[in-house]
Amino acid sequence: MQLLKSYILPRIAQWVVVIFVGVTVTFLIPRFSPINPVDDMIGRMTAFQTIDPQAVVAMRATMEDLYGLDGSLLEQYVAFWQRLLKGDLGPSFQNFPTPVNDFIAAGLPWTVGLLTTTTLISWLLGIFVGSLVGYFQHRRWAQVLERLVIVIYPMPYLITALILLIVFAFYIPLFPMVGGAQGSPALTWQYISSILRFGFLPALSIVIGGFAFRFIMAKALATTEIASDYVQYAELAAVPKRRIVLSYVIRNTMLPHVNDLALSLGAMFEGALIVEVMFGYPGLGSKLFTAISNADYNIIMGITLMSIVGIATGSLIVDLLYPIFDPRVRLR
Amino acid sequence: MMLFKNIYPYSRSVTMLRKLVLLFLLALLAVPTLVGFAQEPDGLPVDVPREDLWVFDQIFRWGTVGNYNVWRIGGSTPFHHALMLETFWNRDQETGEFIHALADGDPVYNDDFSEMSVNLRQGVMWSDGEEFDADDVVYTIETIKAVPELGQGGWHPQLVDFDVQVEKTGDFSVHFTLNRSNPRFHTLFESRWNGVYMMPSHVVSAAAEAVGGTENLGSWEWAAEDVVVLGNYLPVEADPNGYWELFRRRDDPENSLAGIITGGSGPPYALSIFYGNENIRKAIAMSRNELDVYFDVDIESFEFTLDNASKARSWYTDFPWAYPNEVSSRQLAMNMEGDPMLANKDVRWALALAIDIVELQTEYIGGVAKVTPFPVPPTAKLYNLYHGPMTEWLTNLQIDLGDGEMYNPYDPTVPDQIAAWAEEQGFAVPGEPHEVFGSGWWKYDTDAAEKLLIKAGLSRGGDGQWLTPDGEPWVLDLQSDPSENDAYRMGQAAFDMWTDFGVEVNFSTLDRNTWDQNHFVGSYEVSTPWTSFALASGDMWPQIRGRHSRYYAPVGEDYRPLGGDGVRRLRDDRLDELIDAMESVNPVSQEAENIEINTQLLQHWVENMFDITCIAFKKFVTWDETYWTGFPTAENPNYQPLYWFQGGKYAIQNLHPTS
Repeated sequence: MQLLKSYILPRIAQWVVVIFVGVTVTFLIPRFSPINPVDDMIGRMTAFQTIDPQAVVAMRATMEDLYGLDGSLLEQYVAFWQRLLKGDLGPSFQNFPTPVNDFIAAGLPWTVGLLTTTTLISWLLGIFVGSLVGYFQHRRWAQVLERLVIVIYPMPYLITALILLIVFAFYIPLFPMVGGAQGSPALTWQYISSILRFGFLPALSIVIGGFAFRFIMAKALATTEIASDYVQYAELAAVPKRRIVLSYVIRNTMLPHVNDLALSLGAMFEGALIVEVMFGYPGLGSKLFTAISNADYNIIMGITLMSIVGIATGSLIVDLLYPIFDPRVRLR
Repeated sequence: MMLFKNIYPYSRSVTMLRKLVLLFLLALLAVPTLVGFAQEPDGLPVDVPREDLWVFDQIFRWGTVGNYNVWRIGGSTPFHHALMLETFWNRDQETGEFIHALADGDPVYNDDFSEMSVNLRQGVMWSDGEEFDADDVVYTIETIKAVPELGQGGWHPQLVDFDVQVEKTGDFSVHFTLNRSNPRFHTLFESRWNGVYMMPSHVVSAAAEAVGGTENLGSWEWAAEDVVVLGNYLPVEADPNGYWELFRRRDDPENSLAGIITGGSGPPYALSIFYGNENIRKAIAMSRNELDVYFDVDIESFEFTLDNASKARSWYTDFPWAYPNEVSSRQLAMNMEGDPMLANKDVRWALALAIDIVELQTEYIGGVAKVTPFPVPPTAKLYNLYHGPMTEWLTNLQIDLGDGEMYNPYDPTVPDQIAAWAEEQGFAVPGEPHEVFGSGWWKYDTDAAEKLLIKAGLSRGGDGQWLTPDGEPWVLDLQSDPSENDAYRMGQAAFDMWTDFGVEVNFSTLDRNTWDQNHFVGSYEVSTPWTSFALASGDMWPQIRGRHSRYYAPVGEDYRPLGGDGVRRLRDDRLDELIDAMESVNPVSQEAENIEINTQLLQHWVENMFDITCIAFKKFVTWDETYWTGFPTAENPNYQPLYWFQGGKYAIQNLHPTS
């Protein structure tokens, strides 16, 4: 009961406040941007043709009315919360009248599918291999592996992606260059295998970077851990090394890793813009980028809302899990 | 011993676990690789035999997918209009030809241009077998006029503004009545890009009932399976994430308008696909035979294509390769209320004479775009209307360098100089120099430029840099957006040449949004935009009307709410007078008079050097002939190859299998 009052409830309250403030800030910032969605739309409509200036003025009035941008900021803000609480994110301005929910429904499965899978793989691989290398740091294979990762880690993602693309799409054209799958969704081997084939290169590109980061983190943590009394005592007691690695080293370095995992999974809703751009992979990242460029307030809000909720919830889960992983938190 | 007993089973399970983890990781890597190997290396997202499929560059990722109500605000028309939609007339950008599409002849006006009659082509069928007729026209006009949300192309407010009434005068003839004179009313139905697209009245009227009335058609979603077209293609399926869209040829291509006009039938399937904005991705896709045509790339990716796709080519088979006749041109445009020096005509002329156009066109642009001294690209038709006839005037044009010294700035030999450069590089020039490289331009004469700046009150400092009349260093801000490759390189050339001339230039590389925004509020001094004062037909009023000073907004205010094109912050009485004079002239029946006024406007523009226009548009629109051939080329320039324009349908319809 004490834990609930002094630890859990304050964190849930904090979660609510973070989401409210985040959503409010996200509502305001695009509206202070000099880009106006109505002008942007008119600009697109007149990019290849001239339109009578008086017609443009009339179109502007129609669109402001349609987009619901003709009220004061406060009126728009109130209307926004009314809609949001009903689960309605409104229409996309740039793709009027398609609802924002449709865009999110189309992009979210790809973003979540790709980023959950790659985050988990790189997290598991990074911790496992990094901890092993940290523990066996004087072995030849560990030194080779560490140097290899140190070379890979600073490489900008763009370069890694471009190398993969050129090698596996041009020189050895094994993998497709655009899309998430072949054909329409169906529970067939052809469709499912196409998801693996279309997603392989984007996934590999993310796993490489994510693995390298977590490898270095795990190795550093493991290096600190092997100097601890209990590891040294275990070694003196001839406890098998694999048990030392799994139960002593990795287990005792798990707190920062859990933190990293929760925040990474929470942030995935922002999408993976560069992955989508480089590999033509579907998802929310490029949708968010385009929405920001075009001041499509509702799309920005829809995607950012998920990100805010995701990160805040990730943090909350970490906070709630801490007492399980770390008895000291329980004792406090 | 006890310890050993405890550890042994644990050790065995860990070994098992390790093996399982390794197997899992191997499987993660191996399965997709095997899948990749096991399947054909076909990366296309649709399962259609490649020999039946024409794959073209989608240019961008669709936002809205699967809604073919193109009449609504934001309805997506690029290449949809070439595949599916029709209006009365098309204007081909390559030939300038006024093509009778759904209209069977030119528009017929009454004397004061307040009425227009149109005879309709007979025998054009909707894809569901209904014949297109006057009922469709009447329904389309009345519906668009009635629903503000059907705002595509600004047709609704224009129909309302002229209170357009349309009546059926026969099964295949209609008559329009306007509330006042409009000699260009027909241009609403003349597509270079868009024109009022006809609705299938029998389909849309039923849809209107389904959505609760005509007034709700703005939110009507027209699904692929319900679409009925006059064009040659019907949508089949689309990627919900907007990367691709598949179309199939209608069952009776001979009854589509493009089929009737060209006699061709086009490929059975057409797939638009977006490979991203990275040029190299398109080039790789073409090398994999997964893209039959792309709309444009940079020179490096084009060269990659030529090296890796043996059957790929652009407009010319060899230098200068690119298609040179898209109707637009690129300027070093000056904000008349930006740097105070730029308000002085002599300063603007000095900056023009400090540009070496031959070096700009060759060293910076690679010799692949046409030169033009005013904002009209020298396409075959427009050259004959403007550049050619104005050559004598340009050659005789004189400007005052000060102290009564008159100077002829025009150099008609510029195309010959570029041709000589090309031959030095080992390239053959495929035609007369002016046909390939455009018209003459201004002399590169820094002595004359210096005299003009001195005349304007500027002076050289001790370091050779130019000082303003106040004795302060003259600093010029030049902005450019690198996503427009030629414009950016033109900006780099100007930066280098003006710097060499002693002007301190700040060259800012801006992303498109920031660059656009600076234009909207006049926060720039010199920039690198693009425009054409003339349409493909040669008519100018629709393009220039927005520059009338009634649409002027001062620096700091956004010009867009006024509806015009006040980006230059220019107010000029003579310009207004000429724009007003153009308005009342019919560009078809009074073409000579129209061209005369347009020419006067161009002369006025040049005399004042309101901007420094350098080059015309070029596009590395490139196609691979592994599967399909018949695209228009420099050797066979029957239509424009710009398939994303409405008139691009003729090029598509003429395609036939290579084999």
